[in-house]
Amino acid sequence: MEPLKVIITGPVGAGKSTLIRTLSETEVVDTDAIATEAIGKATTTVALDHGTLRLDGHLLHLFGTPGQDRFDFMWEILSQGALGILLMVRADRPDTLPAARNILDFVVSRTPVPHVVGVTHLDRPRVWQPEEIALFLGTPLERVLGFDPRKPEEAARPLARLLELIGTQ
Amino acid sequence: MSKQEQLQQILNELKAALPELKEIIVASPDGLPVAQLGESEIATRLAAMAATAQGLGKRIATTTHLGNLVEIVIRGDQAYFIAYAIGDKGILGLTTPAGSNLGLVRLEAQEYARRLAEVL
Repeated sequence: MEPLKVIITGPVGAGKSTLIRTLSETEVVDTDAIATEAIGKATTTVALDHGTLRLDGHLLHLFGTPGQDRFDFMWEILSQGALGILLMVRADRPDTLPAARNILDFVVSRTPVPHVVGVTHLDRPRVWQPEEIALFLGTPLERVLGFDPRKPEEAARPLARLLELIGTQ
Repeated sequence: MSKQEQLQQILNELKAALPELKEIIVASPDGLPVAQLGESEIATRLAAMAATAQGLGKRIATTTHLGNLVEIVIRGDQAYFIAYAIGDKGILGLTTPAGSNLGLVRLEAQEYARRLAEVL
């Protein structure tokens, strides 16, 4: 099985590390450090997350990036050789959408491969729907999926969609 | 003296003890610049990179059963980047030219990291 590298990226707190912990079939490499900013959680990824997953006959290597701009050098390093991008955004934090678009532009301009947008936190009050997020990011709606990265039965859905896009290239 | 002034004072003393040091930064564990001595333009990026190196270094140390991470050394052909944890409060990162007395740099840097831990 040819391993296939996928980048999991997006602003801080979208659920990137959670997704990799939910899905990985091998021991997850994570690099959490104590957060000193008010980001709504105690720790944050400072280097990368890594996990692997077999899906639809492919072996996926999932590389999660840090979310903050100051780690943009990791976006660049980790996106090298990637065949697909999963951009994760929070439905309840539309204020982070410009940052999400910035990350997407940064990665796609260096690694022009297909991307899917995964929308998380849809169970919170006052959220943006996937349709609105698709419009904001200029991504076709069929590439924008709402999902819960904590639930194993849902977490693989955006990656399955990404595999379809990679396969039809 | 404010916390910031105390940190700056310690960095000044470290620079006086090891005048060959070029960049000296103190970063938070999540990569924000806390104090610096040297070129201000690269200090912000170096703080983020120091946190990345520290985070990855810890994982490499545990994965390969090295015990607790003691230091990060990146050696170029012209200079070194060396980083030490300041307890769990932050990271001390510095660059020093290739010909430096590395033993002395290590000894001093670890001593100053202990002093910084008392302030942070």
